[in-house]
Amino acid sequence: MQIAVSGGKGGTGKSTVAINLAIALRERYDLVLADLDVEAPNDHLLLGVELANEEPVELFMPRFDYQKCTRCRKCAEVCEEHAIITMRDGTPFLMPNLCSGCAACEIVCPVPGAILPGKKLMGHTYLTETPYGFPLVTGRLLEGEERAMPIVSRAKKRAQGLEKELLMVDTAAGTSNTVSKALEDSRLIIAVTEPTPLGIHDGELILKLAKLMDIPAMVVVNRSDLGDVAKVREIAGRYGAEVIAEIPYSENIIRSYVEGRPIVLTDYPEAELFREIASRVVEFLGGGE
Amino acid sequence: MQLVIASGKGGVGKSTVTASLLYLLKDEYRFVAVDADADAPNLDLLLGVERWEEERELVGAKVARINTESCIRCGICQERCPYDCIKVIDGDYVVSELTCEGCNVCGLVCPVPGTISLDEVRSGVVRKTTTRYGFPLISAQLDVGRPNSGKLVTEEKEWAKKLMGELGLKHMIVDSAAGIGCQVIASIGGADLTILVAEPTPASLSDVQRAYKVVQHFRQPAYLIINKADFNPGFTKLREWAEAGGIPILGEIPYDRAIPRSMSMLKPFVEAFPDSKAADAMREIAERVKEEILK
Repeated sequence: MQIAVSGGKGGTGKSTVAINLAIALRERYDLVLADLDVEAPNDHLLLGVELANEEPVELFMPRFDYQKCTRCRKCAEVCEEHAIITMRDGTPFLMPNLCSGCAACEIVCPVPGAILPGKKLMGHTYLTETPYGFPLVTGRLLEGEERAMPIVSRAKKRAQGLEKELLMVDTAAGTSNTVSKALEDSRLIIAVTEPTPLGIHDGELILKLAKLMDIPAMVVVNRSDLGDVAKVREIAGRYGAEVIAEIPYSENIIRSYVEGRPIVLTDYPEAELFREIASRVVEFLGGGE
Repeated sequence: MQLVIASGKGGVGKSTVTASLLYLLKDEYRFVAVDADADAPNLDLLLGVERWEEERELVGAKVARINTESCIRCGICQERCPYDCIKVIDGDYVVSELTCEGCNVCGLVCPVPGTISLDEVRSGVVRKTTTRYGFPLISAQLDVGRPNSGKLVTEEKEWAKKLMGELGLKHMIVDSAAGIGCQVIASIGGADLTILVAEPTPASLSDVQRAYKVVQHFRQPAYLIINKADFNPGFTKLREWAEAGGIPILGEIPYDRAIPRSMSMLKPFVEAFPDSKAADAMREIAERVKEEILK
């Protein structure tokens, strides 16, 4: 089964919640954490590990055999991304940055072998052991590449392939389709938000997406003393989600982060908050008995 | 001049810094502001925007749909979908609208003509207003579950360029999205320079280094602003990285409660708390932007 940590806005503490929750849940479940914030993956930094077991994510990219190409332009016509341009005589050229690697051009090309399967490196996935008894799968988009979807999709598959009892995904900010891809198949979404007008605005969008995807959501309010938690409760209530924790702005959380020691493992009072979130999750999933 | 503010990591204060910078530049410079974080736009909130003067729907996203009447349930579409967007629900093949990238591979491989269509759907809105500070703002909002298209950002920048022509504006100041994906590439591509905002933490350093690689890809100069500069005194790697790479540091903003408080008031912090330490630092940064960048 799968659960997700998400939150609309960037920097609200998604990764902090994800790693601490994973550590708290490892006693109840055999789990894997997947960092699917492929544009800015940071869970490994918070867990203090170096990414390991790199695997490339390569996409199909057409290579034209101009000896065989009949200049029929079908490849260019079918390309939804307009990544193939044709000269006046129909000779196709690829603009690699626009290519999504979908291989539609190859499918429609009437001449076998005129489009050869080239490859383009988009990023990597990693499988890293952590000192906390669960593995971390990370997707990382290559700088200069635009398309996060293939990396999200491949990293998620790699994590699913481990066939653990619980897959916990940490998503990117926002509510684009790469976030939906990460959320897909979740039994529960933990939406991390801040009670500021900005956090509330973006938090509402993730609750909207959860509703559209028909996935139950629970809300964790981070830096809860910096704004209006009642407002968060009101909006959460509108989407049928419960606020399950309020984490105040805390020097201890920053300190534990700087020291590379997850807060849930410390004696600071904030550790209890994360244990409570974990027990709410266990209660919901009905597992671990 | 087209100037971009980027950060890689979300939540380090990019929009907060942008809003205050715009506030400090507004009297001397003529510019249009662009919020290029279409996924989670909030520059409008920080600038107290209450209404949009003009909104344009952007129809450009495409999603595949399967006609269950003519579908023969061969499963080839599901097999060939590059992103696993086709599920079997109650025996029917269904495309997930919230994850489809619109590549049409399913439509091309489907053996029954007309069964899979590629439909245009709304991807979001692009909108314009004049802020209470006098300068125009172009913003956008992607609909939930849509491909996170850089096209929305390109659309925003085109509108901004048109406004520059009409109103005789000299500069475009773009607040980019977090990350390094299509929206960020659309923001940085075609700009003159980028100001990076980062905080002294390993995560922010890692993400800003990645954003800087995108800037280098476009062969543009970059500058750095360090936010929450005193929040992690032992961490010197951010400053060292900038110095080693020849990235000029425009200034450092200390952690200051005035900033989150100003956010709740929906005002730039230099306006809400002009006497705060953060505001002092921000005014120095604005002076350097005027002298070294806008000249």
